Amino acid sequence: MSVKIFRWRAIGPLLILFVIACVLWWLFADSIARREVQKVGTQMLGAKVEIQDLHLDLRHGDVTIRGLTIASPHEPFKNLLQADEIVADLDVVPLTEKKLIIDRVAANGLRFGTPRQTDGRVVAQSGEGIAGRVLAETHDWASQFQIPALQLATGKIGVDSLDPRRLSTIPAAAALDTRADSSRRAWQAAFDTLRLGPALDSASAALERLKHARATDLATLNEARRAIDRLKRARDRVTTLERNVTQGTANLKSGLAGLDSARRRDYAFARSLLKLPSLDAPAVGAALFAPAAIQPFERVLYWTQLARRYMPPGLLPRATTGTKRVRRSGEDIRFPQERALPRFLLRNAELSFLLHPNAAQPQHYAGRLTGLTSDPAVYGRPTTFGASGPRLVAGGLLNHLRGIPVDTAGATVGGITLPAFEVPSVPLRLDPGAAVTQLGFNLNGDTIHARFAIRSSNARWSRDSGGALANTTIGDLIWRTVSGISNLDVEARLAGALQHPDLAVRSNLDQAIAARLRVVLGEQVAAAERQMRARVDALVNDKVGPVQDRVNEVQTQAQAQVARQRARLDELQKQLEQRLRDLARIRLP
Amino acid sequence: MFALIKLIQSLFGALHSEGTPGQLAAGIVLGSFLGLTPLLNLHNALFFALLVLLNVSFAGGMLGWALFIPIGFLLDPLFDWIGHSLLLAPSLRGLWTSCYNTPIVPLTNFNNTVVLGSLVFAGLFAVPLFLATRLAVIRYRATIGERVRQSRWYRAVMASKVYNVYKMFRP
Repeated sequence: MSVKIFRWRAIGPLLILFVIACVLWWLFADSIARREVQKVGTQMLGAKVEIQDLHLDLRHGDVTIRGLTIASPHEPFKNLLQADEIVADLDVVPLTEKKLIIDRVAANGLRFGTPRQTDGRVVAQSGEGIAGRVLAETHDWASQFQIPALQLATGKIGVDSLDPRRLSTIPAAAALDTRADSSRRAWQAAFDTLRLGPALDSASAALERLKHARATDLATLNEARRAIDRLKRARDRVTTLERNVTQGTANLKSGLAGLDSARRRDYAFARSLLKLPSLDAPAVGAALFAPAAIQPFERVLYWTQLARRYMPPGLLPRATTGTKRVRRSGEDIRFPQERALPRFLLRNAELSFLLHPNAAQPQHYAGRLTGLTSDPAVYGRPTTFGASGPRLVAGGLLNHLRGIPVDTAGATVGGITLPAFEVPSVPLRLDPGAAVTQLGFNLNGDTIHARFAIRSSNARWSRDSGGALANTTIGDLIWRTVSGISNLDVEARLAGALQHPDLAVRSNLDQAIAARLRVVLGEQVAAAERQMRARVDALVNDKVGPVQDRVNEVQTQAQAQVARQRARLDELQKQLEQRLRDLARIRLP
Repeated sequence: MFALIKLIQSLFGALHSEGTPGQLAAGIVLGSFLGLTPLLNLHNALFFALLVLLNVSFAGGMLGWALFIPIGFLLDPLFDWIGHSLLLAPSLRGLWTSCYNTPIVPLTNFNNTVVLGSLVFAGLFAVPLFLATRLAVIRYRATIGERVRQSRWYRAVMASKVYNVYKMFRP
């Protein structure tokens, strides 16, 4: 009996199932696509992506999105952007390779920084995914620039408890004491080994005999000459010892000078323990504006690092976490290939947006984004974007074609009313008003150069009750200094290795505030420093004084001993030579 | 509870169906693919279509599917490791790259470590599973099959209306 392979009657139900699937797709494709775009967008950007309506027209390769809202990943109740309508022309064929190629996007009615009702941050709370990691990294990066508030904060000057164990002078003094002691012992041992006694004794005896000798007493004369030679050799040994003593005492003197250096270091250390307000202008600028200036750098770095993660250079396989499902997600490995299509490509996007949409004459701007791709090495061209308008010039380039990615962005925005912000630590609120803002950013591999500047001629200051300096002398002082200044010029520069760049912040207010602070706090600072030095001296002098005495004593002792012996040798030699010369002058009969 | 009854019905329905042990074993093997690999993938549409179109035990397929779902969950770490090893093997990079850039193939999600690992595992496991299942069915029918068929509880289970649904697809 032959067994049938196919169950032909099942084709009907299978077709019905297929038709049902098609109908369901037709009915729910837009909804499914909308949810997926929201989900993927939220996951990628780290902030809620909301879409009111999405329509797929695969036959014509069109996707229309209406009411797009992307929340800010950094601010809780603010949107990054909103768009009235976005129309995208898709290339349909690459969809069969699971590749999304968008030939052109037209976005209308873009608005930036609009308020929202709910907190749209996602990864800031969960910390998950690539966006979560990048957000945490950039946050850590920015936190290294936190200017210690107390450098300018309380103005309270006091001497903290000083731990003697942390002073470097005391161990240095103990070490010097040990060195002096060992030098003394070494020199004494060297002196003992000179064995000057026999030479001196034989020379004295020879001199005595020579006093009674005659010019013809050749044996006595020769003995005197040998005694002089022995004295000369003994003097050479003394000279060598003297050289050692001189060198040793010089070392001990440098040790004493080292104690002075150590004491200066201890003064500096003790000063660092004092809560002294910095009176230098750059420090004042950093304390006032660095936290606010770091914010734009942190945000640009977040987007740049995100771009680097999603648009890595090279053609090696890349693993990313797989789509979430009930089963384990695993990893999706991508295999980019030269001369093939990238996984995602947005060839060209034309953006039109409004600034001041609620103003009587809203300003229209236009922008363009080209070559946004997940595989820059496959696409072969960098991503560029630019925008221009009456008071805006912005541009950027993400070049991830080579092994070392280079990201550059710059923008100058004029007439933008910046939000008022509280100046850290001080009871002040600064409303920059309509300001000109400039941002320049270059990240070349791991080297960063960035600049952020705000210029305003109608800044307004208002008194605030917050801040560590509220109701303090410094708070009053700063308020009196800045309240009448309407010009604001702040510039922050960042340069160096990305992990630890140097931050410099300056403003037109630095000098004025620093000068006023110096007038009011200068005497207090000096008094505190005197108190601090006295405290260090009290701890150190007990240890250093005896050591200095001991070193001086050892030096003096050694030098005196050497000088004494040398003098005896010289004296004997001189007497012997004189007697020999006297005998040589006697004329023979 | 319903699922459990259905599973028991499927099991005994399949064991006592008119299908051959080979048909039952083939059904279970196809069902194991559905159970072991993540369900919502293109290759599973193919296996489901094969299960429906080929003259194999559909009940066996459902049984295999139901039995291998928990095993699939348990073995996910193993599948992940297998997939990872295969996808990142330098010698296979050319193959995966060309597959990744070929139409339709990427829709199978073959580049996911769990999908590829589970599919490879299910493929390798299919032959021993088929042979073991066929042998087990033959032994069952030859030994206790008839006694089970005559038992009261078997008739009670099979009298349920759910069994009628199964009968629509019996081989």
